[in-house]
Amino acid sequence: MERPAPVAVPLGQAEVFQALQRLHMTVFSQSVSPCGKFLAAGNNYGQIAIFSLSAALSSEAKEESKKPVVTFQAHDGPVYSMVSTDRHLLSAGDGEVKAWLWAEILKKGCKEMWRRQPPYRTSLEVPEINALLLVPKENSLILAGGDCQLHTMDLETGTFTRALRGHTDYIHCLALRERSPEVLSGGEDGAVRLWDLRTAKEAQTIEVYKHEECSRPHNGRWIGCLATDSDWMVCGGGPALTLWHLRSSTPTTIFPIRAPQKHVTFYQDLILSAGQGHCINHWQLSGELKAQVPGSSPGLLSLSLNQQPAAPECKVLTAAGNSCRVDVFTNLGYRAFSLSF
Amino acid sequence: MSSESSKKRKPKVIRSDGAPAEGKRNRSDTEQEGKYYSEEAEVDLRDPGRDYELYKYTCQELQRLMAEIQDLKSRGGKDVAIEIEERRIQSCVHFMTLKKLNRLAHIRLKKGRDQTHEAKQKVDAYHLQLQNLLYEVMHLQKEITKCLEFKSKHEEIDLVSLEEFYKEAPPDISKAEVTMGDPHQQTLARLDWELEQRKRLAEKYRECLSNKEKILKEIEVKKEYLSSLQPRLNSIMQASLPVQEYLFMPFDQAHKQYETARHLPPPLYVLFVQATAYGQACDKTLSVAIEGSVDEAKALFKPPDDSQDDESDSDAEEEQTTKRRRPTLGVQLDDKRKEMLKRHPLSVMVDLKCKDESVLHLTFYYLMNLNILTVKAKVTTATELITPISAGDLLSPDSVLSCLYPGDHGKKTPNPANQYQFDKVGILTLRDYVLDLGHPYLWVQKLGGLHFPKEQPQHTVIADHSLSASHMETTMKLLKTRVQSRLALHKQFASLEHGIVPVTSDCQYLFPAKVVSRLVKWVTVAHEDYMELHFTKDIVEAGLAGDTNLYYMALIERGTAKLQAAVVLNPGYSSIPPIFQLCLNWKGEKTNSNDDNIRAMESEVNVCYKELCGPRPGHQLLTNQLQRLCVLLDVYLETESHDDSVEGPKEFPQEKMCLRLFRGPSRMKPFKYNHPQGFFSHR
Repeated sequence: MERPAPVAVPLGQAEVFQALQRLHMTVFSQSVSPCGKFLAAGNNYGQIAIFSLSAALSSEAKEESKKPVVTFQAHDGPVYSMVSTDRHLLSAGDGEVKAWLWAEILKKGCKEMWRRQPPYRTSLEVPEINALLLVPKENSLILAGGDCQLHTMDLETGTFTRALRGHTDYIHCLALRERSPEVLSGGEDGAVRLWDLRTAKEAQTIEVYKHEECSRPHNGRWIGCLATDSDWMVCGGGPALTLWHLRSSTPTTIFPIRAPQKHVTFYQDLILSAGQGHCINHWQLSGELKAQVPGSSPGLLSLSLNQQPAAPECKVLTAAGNSCRVDVFTNLGYRAFSLSF
Repeated sequence: MSSESSKKRKPKVIRSDGAPAEGKRNRSDTEQEGKYYSEEAEVDLRDPGRDYELYKYTCQELQRLMAEIQDLKSRGGKDVAIEIEERRIQSCVHFMTLKKLNRLAHIRLKKGRDQTHEAKQKVDAYHLQLQNLLYEVMHLQKEITKCLEFKSKHEEIDLVSLEEFYKEAPPDISKAEVTMGDPHQQTLARLDWELEQRKRLAEKYRECLSNKEKILKEIEVKKEYLSSLQPRLNSIMQASLPVQEYLFMPFDQAHKQYETARHLPPPLYVLFVQATAYGQACDKTLSVAIEGSVDEAKALFKPPDDSQDDESDSDAEEEQTTKRRRPTLGVQLDDKRKEMLKRHPLSVMVDLKCKDESVLHLTFYYLMNLNILTVKAKVTTATELITPISAGDLLSPDSVLSCLYPGDHGKKTPNPANQYQFDKVGILTLRDYVLDLGHPYLWVQKLGGLHFPKEQPQHTVIADHSLSASHMETTMKLLKTRVQSRLALHKQFASLEHGIVPVTSDCQYLFPAKVVSRLVKWVTVAHEDYMELHFTKDIVEAGLAGDTNLYYMALIERGTAKLQAAVVLNPGYSSIPPIFQLCLNWKGEKTNSNDDNIRAMESEVNVCYKELCGPRPGHQLLTNQLQRLCVLLDVYLETESHDDSVEGPKEFPQEKMCLRLFRGPSRMKPFKYNHPQGFFSHR
């Protein structure tokens, strides 16, 4: 399906620079507002854009509805991860975590409520924060990233309570196991480690690359994505996307996809995964590929399901990655439209 | 009767026997040799009528005898046989007579035929003779007609009339006494006179020709004399110039210029005035001159009443001639087009001198019917430039001034009213004629004070000084930067084609000391080819790859790795950066759609270009970008993680100092070079 080349618009220096920026933009993280009507997206230039999902999904949506309501410079470096509490938007990337008030965020000139930096060991280079995880029971936030440690921060006081060490290379992703409050972390060293939050110790380690069925040496051993459903865990990255039974630490299903996956999540009875390649893959638990839905970016880094109860009409799946666009899937089967920076 | 006839008969028979003998004796002269019976001769003697009577009588007798025999036979008796015998003998005799008569008849017939035949032959002979004579008569008649029709050449010559002849001809030619009477002689005399006259006239003609030659030569000499006068006058003028300069009054030069400037059309006049003013006030390196024929310019403005009278006459004539000639529609249209695109005979030439002694020559023309200005550009340098192959388009007159302001490609006419004029003569666009006429850039119109609004065409657009003045300074500065950036690129391309990236010493700090990847190839690429490449689709879709840009392909290699870089060079270089799209061939093909690190490399040169600009005015941007690409390729190859399942050492051992090899969810390599510490980190 060839689109005809568009006529070159006379471009001055500013327009060319803007076009180049948009071409090289990567959206790393997304987060849905507590009311469910807004979506925040963070990119590699450190900007956060707030999109109005309700306006874009309504019947009178025009082209401008697909543009951000507001865009502001949040960080100096890329915004690698974001989460939302019931009042705040927390964003992190270049070593700091900042909090923004959702109620104020749509106003121009919004400033962060607070910012925190976990205690790092090295000072030569500020390590990035790749993953944020909320632990609602403890009202704390777990940060993990470049310095190979998991830091826990108490959201009320803002102090850093624990630092969990064990990874030998930087951490990519975190997942929370609700029942027994345990945190799973996957990292560049190829291991998935389970941490018990009460004892602050490493409970279990699974070195994925050592299992022959799922290891793929030509891709590397890094674990890029994690998702857990109490007894089960799915992880992917360099090695193949695999479903593990946690108690026995055995891989039960290996999903046949060659491209490294960068984000995976459980949804109803499916597993959704996305990574290199422009499709979102829908897997049955048995390992069969149910559907492959194409998006508009050549590679995807983040999926977000808007399951906020307050806005059932905005229940959509949004996907973002190596482009300036955020794809919106109203029905999981096809891409409805794309929001763009 | 029968006895008489039989007696008659008998003696006849006897007589006939004897008569011919007597006849023969009588005619013995003719037949003395032999006595034979000639019936032919006898035929002449006998009378046919009598023979016919004899025949009838004989037949009658025969009939009678037969009847008598019949009677006798039927009666019967003894005497009958003798009677019958007698009668039989008589019948035989009669039969003989009949036979003779038959012979005679045949002979007569033959004779008659022979005579007829002879006569016929004679008649035929006469007939033939008659035909021959008739034929000869006809022939002779034809000959006579021919002779009568013969026209002598002498009748075609227009001879002088008789009276004149007798008046003028000398007596020895005219010979009146002889010729009066004899027309033949008269004609001869007249011809003689004609010949005489012609000879005299030929003589005169030769004389006149030689005269004419002489006079022409004299004219030549006089002309030379006059023309030698002109330089002397010039030298006097020159001699007076030092005096003028000494007195600080370069009146002559300025006076001449202003004189010619009076004949300029209004937009060129505005341009001339503003450019001269700017040159005098702000920029000493700018010089303005007027070129072209003043007389032609004056001719365009003949007084209207004279030309109208002439025109009406000439129109009538022309109409007639066109009706007769019927030129083709195409020729007519061509003429109309030429008329529409006619240039004013005067043009303004502006020379901009840059710091490095290179000069930009701009010639501004005014198209009268279209009311727009066009410009032709040429760049000359202090030293002769050897043009590298890829730099062909950089300084070409067609494209050196393209897009001086964004979007100003100079291929379309800026005056909206021209479209209607073009439709009438079948011109599609001005693009076909720009090579000849010059480019109608928007800034040229502004310099000439012509402002064309975008919506409706105005009826008259007059030249405005204020518009020109406000644009003059910016445009001149832009022109200078354009020329210098192009010349800088020119030099850089020469070195790039040899595989050397020329990094100046004040930009060395941007790169590490050791760069192993090497630039191997640098070529121009056509616009269509660029659009066809599979890894440039994003740039094309974003509308950044128009046809006013220049396209190049660079190839950087290290070991088995080959990096192809497709470059879009905007005419507004270096304020608008060149855009790179990469495709790496090493262990498979990696482009920005399947490898995040290639995307990051592109981002390093495309988005972070401001740090690569180098010292003002930033002409080093392209070479710095290329050098950075080499460095990035080094980092990429050296930091590639080793595949444990494959045997053998790494192809590229890590030599660069990096704090961390991977960072962030997309596992970026450390592409940022830190100076002066010399290590690589992430952005």
